[in-house]
Amino acid sequence: MFSIVFTWLMVAWGALSCIYMLRCAWRRFPHRDVDDVIPFLYPVDISLAESLLDPAAEFEFRWKLGPQQFRQAQRKRMRLYLELTRRMSHNSKVLVEYAVAAKGSSDPDRVILASTLQEKAIEVRLYSLLTGIKLRLWLLLRTDLFHMAPVLAHLRTTGEIDGLQTYTALKSAATAVFVQFPPDILDSLTRNL
Amino acid sequence: MNVLEFIPSCMLVVLLGVLLRRGAYKILPFFFTYVLFAVAADIARFMVRDHPHPYYITYYATEASYDVLGVLVMYEVLRAVLGNLIHGRWGRCIFPAILLASILLSVARSHAAPTQFTRRVAFYILVGEIAVRFAQVFIFAGLVTLVPLLGLRWRQYPFGVATGFGLYATVSLLTTTAFSDFGTRFTFLWGVTSLVAYSLTVIIWIWFFSAPQKSGIPTPEVSALSPGDLKKYKDALRRMR
Repeated sequence: MFSIVFTWLMVAWGALSCIYMLRCAWRRFPHRDVDDVIPFLYPVDISLAESLLDPAAEFEFRWKLGPQQFRQAQRKRMRLYLELTRRMSHNSKVLVEYAVAAKGSSDPDRVILASTLQEKAIEVRLYSLLTGIKLRLWLLLRTDLFHMAPVLAHLRTTGEIDGLQTYTALKSAATAVFVQFPPDILDSLTRNL
Repeated sequence: MNVLEFIPSCMLVVLLGVLLRRGAYKILPFFFTYVLFAVAADIARFMVRDHPHPYYITYYATEASYDVLGVLVMYEVLRAVLGNLIHGRWGRCIFPAILLASILLSVARSHAAPTQFTRRVAFYILVGEIAVRFAQVFIFAGLVTLVPLLGLRWRQYPFGVATGFGLYATVSLLTTTAFSDFGTRFTFLWGVTSLVAYSLTVIIWIWFFSAPQKSGIPTPEVSALSPGDLKKYKDALRRMR
């Protein structure tokens, strides 16, 4: 019985995937050019993220605050980091779409730089999606109430991806791709990423 | 019906030509081998079609080879799409886990609805074939799910291969699950549906491989930046930190 139900689920999943691929073929991949990148990026404060994931800072909070106050502070910190991962995820999606379009360039150097950007953006997106799921679960299940306040520092690496290191690499890759554009565009990129 | 049966074989020859033109043997060697084998298997089956015993042996021997090649092609697809992500500790477990789940599901299915095979070898080949179909749907549907999540580019050769196999495997699982209720009419329905699905699969492959694809493998040989660009790059990185 279980195997039949599972087979039907697989058939449904496969059929939905076929429909999605048909939709993709119909609509084509969004073609982002440079004008569709910078205004769409949300700034990510890496130093803030560093401080949120710093185990010493967390230990200090735990030391200074009472259990209830610490739980409240930890929830606030989790929500803040969730917002940062949302921004990382959004930025990486924008950059993946741009990299895909840039890979169509006739300049081989540009294609290689775009491939690196795409690779880094996919890694960041994977990290932010997995971290987002973890954080939402922690917030939803109220794990803090059962004296199991989650340790935010554990989120630095998810799925073997060091989030902040990869995001920094993504910024470098984006800068390398945009370096040949006018300085004002590069400035905006460095501000918005 | 007999003439229609040759349509997929003719299209496979066209596909082989397209693959040769695109140099697919360098990008996806297992898939190229699969198509080459499919053409050879069709010829072999055609040659022994009037001799029941040799046809039986040829049919099951080629089916078993299809199963093995199908697994290798799906591994190749997964490796090509996920790139570096598959080399991690968890990444390395993805393919064996899919394969194991597929074999377990296929075995469970064969126990739930026992087949009427007298020869054990034929039975095992059929179980293996259903396991490969499960693995193909798993990998195809999984990769398609990753397209919107990770922003992967869908118009690339490995996705084309996965889409073709995914469509055929989905239809195959559907027909073997749903049409078994039709009794003796099942053979005819299964034959027609498989023929149409396989033809569509080959059309999908031809369509995907009809467009040239730039090599996505980054090489370290990027031309050096000009001194002006290098300064801009360093300044920009400094501002970001």
